[in-house]
Amino acid sequence: MGNVAADAAKEAAHSDEIIHYLTQTTFLGEVNMQTMYMTWVTMAIVFVLFLVVCRNPKMVPSGLQNALEIILDFLNGLMEDNLGSKGRKFMAPFIVTLFMFILVSNELGIFLPQIGVHWTSPTNDINTCFALSLLVAFSAYAVGVFKQGLGHFKHFVSPSPAFLPLHLLDAVTKPLTMALRLFGNILAGEILLIVLYQLSPWVIPELWVMFSLFIGFVQAFIFTILALGSYALAFASHDEN
Amino acid sequence: MVNFNATLIAQVLNFLILVYVLAKFAYKPVVRIMDERKNKIANDLDAAEKAKEEAEAVKAQYADKLANAKQEAQAIIDNARKTAQAAHDKIMAETKAEQDQVMASAKEAIALEKKKAMDDIRTQVISLSMIAASKIVEQKLGSEEDKKMAGKIVDSIISK
Repeated sequence: MGNVAADAAKEAAHSDEIIHYLTQTTFLGEVNMQTMYMTWVTMAIVFVLFLVVCRNPKMVPSGLQNALEIILDFLNGLMEDNLGSKGRKFMAPFIVTLFMFILVSNELGIFLPQIGVHWTSPTNDINTCFALSLLVAFSAYAVGVFKQGLGHFKHFVSPSPAFLPLHLLDAVTKPLTMALRLFGNILAGEILLIVLYQLSPWVIPELWVMFSLFIGFVQAFIFTILALGSYALAFASHDEN
Repeated sequence: MVNFNATLIAQVLNFLILVYVLAKFAYKPVVRIMDERKNKIANDLDAAEKAKEEAEAVKAQYADKLANAKQEAQAIIDNARKTAQAAHDKIMAETKAEQDQVMASAKEAIALEKKKAMDDIRTQVISLSMIAASKIVEQKLGSEEDKKMAGKIVDSIISK
């Protein structure tokens, strides 16, 4: 870890950027270690949240179980509307994990100076945002082919082949906008928070923290809704058949 | 700040691992308990509805029974009152008849006694007056005609 800190200091000295990703070369290639650490923290938090509730789920919920069940119920309702009952059963673990992961990710970056370590949101890294949006885009095709066969790609030429360019454009811009929206919102929130702390140590940053908490939830919600839109195509036409 | 590198692949892997772990260990139990609770609440509501209907039925039944019992009790009371009235009337009538009879026989007896006493008195007065008359006229009056005459005189006196 001393090595990492030294690297961070070196990087900070050599760059004028506010956010530091601690890029290191590993067996995969260049990896932003700060993003990786924070992703693991996020994964641990999400897992522990579920574990605490799941180890002893009660018939009469309280506390954490209540909070988690509200989120699950809310997401189940969204999935029921967009994917149908079969689609909900098939996609639920993925969608719930997606929402929880992005939500916890977004909120992590808000605890900047209070805990004494350099915590950031994993979603302030464009790699994370594109990883999620591309995963959603390609897995939507995968689920579509899995559920409907290659006929799933017919929606590219519906209602007529003339719409193919529009559909292709949509296929490209959808993951692009999803990733960039999430990335931009979270990164901008963190940078503004750092700037505000330099401006004033109290009050003003706290107001922004409150707003950031809300933005973190809204962005997680928007990302999940758009992902559901992508998957809806794989299930909606399937239900019509 | 915006540089793509292998982090993207690592993040995909991270996320898929999280999805797998949550789906395997965490998601199912929570959803199961939520479904169980949903079913339980639905069942409880059904049961409550059923119990309510049953209670209503029993209540109606009890109300019926109560009304019947009241009617029966009223009938019994009416019957008893009627019987008592009849018994009362009968006893009164019997008593009245007996009383009348007693009065009638008493009157008869009195009349009889009176007549007997009058006859006695008459006989006594006749012999007394004869004795008195014979003494007065110092003459023996013993014939049938004398007796008849004396009787006439006595009768006229008594009847006066």
